[in-house]
Amino acid sequence: MAKPKAEQSVLWLGIFASLTMVTALVFTAIFPSYNNRWSTNTVDGAKYFRAVRADTGTGYSKLEEEGRLVYQREGCMYCHTQQVRPLRTEMIRYGIHHSPAPPADEREGIYDEPHFLGTKRNGPDLSRVGGKYSDDWQFSHLYNPQQMVPGSIMPAFTWLFSNANPADPSMAPVPSHECVALVAYLQSLGADRMIWDPALNGGKGGYRPWLLPQDKQNSLAESQAALMNAAKPIHAPRVSQ
Amino acid sequence: MAVQQIAQISSNPVGERIDHDDDAAKWWMTVALFNVVVFGTFGLIAAVKMVMPGLFAGVSWLAWPRIRPAHVNGVVFGWLVPMSIAMFHYFIPRLSGAKLYGTRISQIALCIWETGVIVATLGLLNPWGGELQAGSLNPWWMTKGKEWEDYNAISNIIITVALLMVDYVIFRTIAQRRYRQIYVATWYAVGTLLWTSLVYVVGNWPGQAIDWTLHTYFGWDALPHFGFTGSNDANVNWFYGHSIVGLVATPGGIALAYYFLPKSINAPLYSHKLSIIGFWTLGAIYFWVGAHHMIYGPIPYWLQTVATVFSFLLFIPVAAAVINFLGTSRGEWHQLRNNVVFKFFIAGTVMYFLVSTQGSFEALRPVQAIVHFTDYTVGHAHLALFGFATMFAFGAALYAAPRMWKRPLYSEGIAEWSFWLAFIGITIYVVSLTAAGIYQGKLWMDYPHLPFIETVVAMVPFWHARAGGGAMMVASMVLVAFNVYKTATSPAPAETRVAAKA
Ligand code: HEC
Ligand code: HEM
Repeated sequence: MAKPKAEQSVLWLGIFASLTMVTALVFTAIFPSYNNRWSTNTVDGAKYFRAVRADTGTGYSKLEEEGRLVYQREGCMYCHTQQVRPLRTEMIRYGIHHSPAPPADEREGIYDEPHFLGTKRNGPDLSRVGGKYSDDWQFSHLYNPQQMVPGSIMPAFTWLFSNANPADPSMAPVPSHECVALVAYLQSLGADRMIWDPALNGGKGGYRPWLLPQDKQNSLAESQAALMNAAKPIHAPRVSQ
Repeated sequence: MAVQQIAQISSNPVGERIDHDDDAAKWWMTVALFNVVVFGTFGLIAAVKMVMPGLFAGVSWLAWPRIRPAHVNGVVFGWLVPMSIAMFHYFIPRLSGAKLYGTRISQIALCIWETGVIVATLGLLNPWGGELQAGSLNPWWMTKGKEWEDYNAISNIIITVALLMVDYVIFRTIAQRRYRQIYVATWYAVGTLLWTSLVYVVGNWPGQAIDWTLHTYFGWDALPHFGFTGSNDANVNWFYGHSIVGLVATPGGIALAYYFLPKSINAPLYSHKLSIIGFWTLGAIYFWVGAHHMIYGPIPYWLQTVATVFSFLLFIPVAAAVINFLGTSRGEWHQLRNNVVFKFFIAGTVMYFLVSTQGSFEALRPVQAIVHFTDYTVGHAHLALFGFATMFAFGAALYAAPRMWKRPLYSEGIAEWSFWLAFIGITIYVVSLTAAGIYQGKLWMDYPHLPFIETVVAMVPFWHARAGGGAMMVASMVLVAFNVYKTATSPAPAETRVAAKA
């Protein structure tokens, strides 16, 4: 059974087809992680965005790390993104107290495995939600979102509570350990980003741009740009209003 | 259907007469059609839950965020990929003039594959874990948490084994072929299998699970990680995610059209050269566009620009395929009246053109600023994976089933119904979600102080329409599966057993 000569071309087909994939992998997935901006994607770069916790040596405490796994298992990332885009409207929407939120930064996610950037906003972005609500609000919202926000389509995560019985209001649900961990993680999101480091803001410490008093807000855009260090702006925020 | 058309016995250039038994193809197709009904229904449940969030309240494994990834991955890894593999088992032996190498190996591969899909789906739904149980947070078992990589690490290993077995069977069959020239459908089949295997391993590397094991059982927390983190992770995620779209679903579907479209209307292929251009440009361009899923995201600006530019270059492979399919149909348009397989392929071709054109423009920054994160993306995804890939797969199933089981199709009428349900269903689905996405995106863009919930409530009428369109799509899946099932189980007509074509 002589093999047909043309069989060789199947081999070449395979080799070239693999090469197309390898080339693109090198240029679009491997090369960017070594580029100038991204080389700051190290522990050193990340410390400007997340305080390193004493108990773990990473950006998350033990409890928050567990909450991250609960977030992953419950699939919150299928409805919530964790990236504020550098668009003016978005920085305003996800800011606090009329102070725009800083857009997502490449170095922010260094401790995030997996990333929760997301692609669909059935619910609002959560990357700056830490401190926006009290823990109690978060528990009540997870237990019964429709009660807290009429018209919400977020599922009621009743299985994160013991003594749960939504039909009977006299029952007092108790958040499980997993639920406590989840809320601890939510509260850590964006809360100590950026300017917490005294080294960065001339020794003022604990300075949070979005908590500026009203009269200082005008200079916010400049101070933000300056503080995000010279290399920061991905590009100028799009003014689209 | 004419008896001659059902004849299975052909002869190759060496003069051997080959009776293709198609046992492997039958198995893969049966399981794929079972999966499309199951996972399509999952999608319908998710769509209904968008307008009735109280449905199945308190049942953790039917919660929206668990149903959704089970649906999305189920239709790709349970339906589209197995269906393409089934059809490769059908046409590659015919195009090679050789019997399938290793029917048994392929059937075992199918069992392994389906085990992987079931294990993965159970991990996503997590019906036992979750309710306050210690140990249910195991990343080997639960979702990997990244779109298209959601399937758990255990099932990734299982599916990889099955994939390699299929590669072996198909490549061996091609190696023994008796025709010198490789027809372009085979090129696309080889490309699909090769690219699927390569990106599957790259994309599903179980970094997080390994890190979690070291951390939990060995107390090892030191960086560097075995997995990627943050922006790097997202970038690899979308390199893989877009490969699933562009180098698994797309060539898998196009391979079917290159074989079944000319066959179904009995016309020669318009241009072999054009199809080869399409093949190489597809491979050279599609891998570069992953970053267009993160326009304005925390990845380098130049990378986003590269992705947008390559998104426009994709017009080349798209035009090559579409011109070729329409050119092949030249002079045969009258067949649209009564040839339902042809209808599926023409509708799929048109939607392939629409979705790719839509995609190129969607990758532009000003467009992304508005439609990113909205239902517009969901409309695009369904126009692609249902309107294009599933339409082709349905056409192929209805053409191949009678020939594999050597019986006439159970009912042309049901086939006709399944086409119109699919076509009208997907049209309603895409139009409503596209409008919804633009509307919601404009609300977000123009009214930064509008409470978010207002922009959710505004979507409800569109979501009702979507659920209706989705119900029609599921109905069409049920009808195709039923039609094939009845074809396979009906008694064989006596004359087809002796019919032979020299
Ligand atoms: C079906 C989609 C869906 C899923 C899944 C989902 N959410 Fe939501 N979420 C929403 C919607 C819609 C809103 C806006 C209405 C509201 O506040 O309830 C929301 C709002 C929120 C808010 C308030 C944000 C703000 O800025 O007002 C938080 C916090 C939140 N979700 C946390 C979670 C967590 C944690 C999970 C996972 C356990 C989760 N969500 C899963 C849809 C979802
Ligand atoms: C020229 C061709 C195409 C281009 C340029 C393109 C572009 C895009 C872009 C920019 C997105 C991201 C939208 C967003 O998140 O806002 C997207 C999403 C998507 N596309 Fe395409 N597309 C093309 C063709 C296709 C084809 C052929 C398929 C399937 C066979 C497909 C399937 C999908 C899917 C499933 C998603 C959703 C991904 C997700 O978020 O989960 N696309 N496409």
